Amino acid sequence: MNQNPFKVFALVVLALGLVAAPIFAHHSAAMYDTSKKITLEGVVKELAWTNPHVVLTIIANAKDGQPAQTWSLETTSPGNLTRLGWTKRTFKAGDKVKVLVSPLRNGKPGAWFVSGVLLDTGKEVVGGLPTVEPDDDEPDHKK
Amino acid sequence: MSSTFAGEIRAGCSRRVRCAAANLLGWVFVGLAVFPAASRSHAQQAPEAINPPPTAKDWTELAKLPDWSGIWFPDLADQRRQVAGNPPPWTEAAAAQVRELVQQERAGHPKLIFSGCLPESMPAWMLVSHNAMEILFTPGRVTLLGESDSNRLRRIYTDGRKHPEDPDLTFHGHSIAHWEGDVLVVDTVGIRPQTFIAVSEAVGLPNNGDLHVVERIHLAGPNTLHDELEITAPHLLTRPWKTTRIFYRQRQRKFDIVEGICLEASFTEAKDKYGNAILVPVPHDEEGIKITPSPK
Repeated sequence: MNQNPFKVFALVVLALGLVAAPIFAHHSAAMYDTSKKITLEGVVKELAWTNPHVVLTIIANAKDGQPAQTWSLETTSPGNLTRLGWTKRTFKAGDKVKVLVSPLRNGKPGAWFVSGVLLDTGKEVVGGLPTVEPDDDEPDHKK
Repeated sequence: MSSTFAGEIRAGCSRRVRCAAANLLGWVFVGLAVFPAASRSHAQQAPEAINPPPTAKDWTELAKLPDWSGIWFPDLADQRRQVAGNPPPWTEAAAAQVRELVQQERAGHPKLIFSGCLPESMPAWMLVSHNAMEILFTPGRVTLLGESDSNRLRRIYTDGRKHPEDPDLTFHGHSIAHWEGDVLVVDTVGIRPQTFIAVSEAVGLPNNGDLHVVERIHLAGPNTLHDELEITAPHLLTRPWKTTRIFYRQRQRKFDIVEGICLEASFTEAKDKYGNAILVPVPHDEEGIKITPSPK
């Protein structure tokens, strides 16, 4: 048997019916390699609009001989995403998307969502935390 | 009245034996009279504390306080600058553990110090939060309500009460405060030893007990709030740590605090056999990673 090891892994995952989605209490994003940015293209399966972290699940297209794969893309909370202009309907099942993500260091199909484009409309969506500035011209405190 | 009656019994005696008996009887009356009085006097010294209904004047007085309305969002860049420029004065033993945690995070294996959806607690909430809060003034109270952690809450009493002598230890401690001009001076004790003094969501150590936090909270500009903290943690820090955290006021409604039930994502929507909408736990692997079913 001269099986592609990735294919075997994919079959095992499919057989188990499971993929890993990173999710937990609020946590450091250091499990993601933020020095890396990769692009995935595929179809939205679900936007889990939940605290403490929202998770966008997409089925990435087969590419470079790899089979289609389910990816879980984590970002911040519904509250903080609302401030960036998201709603629970920003992504819906079936939407074609292209996303820029920082992958998990452990090689599992999970990543930190950086930004994305809804391919049917061209709408761009950015993840993360809102940046806030004082509007009272206060100098940085010196303490 | 009873003791007067006892005195009359004693005054009315004419023979030594009768007098002795009368005296005894008299003192019994005195005792009967005094004992309930003593009980009443004790009750007067330590009446059961109540929260009196606020008066119209109490509500009016609130209008004289500085305006802290709106939503306050932390300056995250300044949190990092503070930690870099003014780190906690860790004990030698603590510093070694902190170095290890920093290495772990840099290696991509961050310790999940706020795992299990326990609250960030005091003082980590004020130090490293990425989330918004609002501040409510009511008579005798200042209340801090934060987003995330199943909604954070600090009750700060401004009604002049003292700390309990032996407070139950809690995640946010027992806070009392008074106003010094426009500065709210908050004193917090009774914090659980397990709460973290944190410099990030992956680097922090349990305070290990006897934690005391004093905060001077005040407007530093029209829309800038400073929380000047002095953290005394004798089992973790070599000296009290003074550090300031900055929050910026947001008035856009998109900043309104939303519900943040931390365990929400640990459950998924389902239907029971009767068709009721229910939540069921989702499995997690040993690293706390949620396991979701793959597409059909």
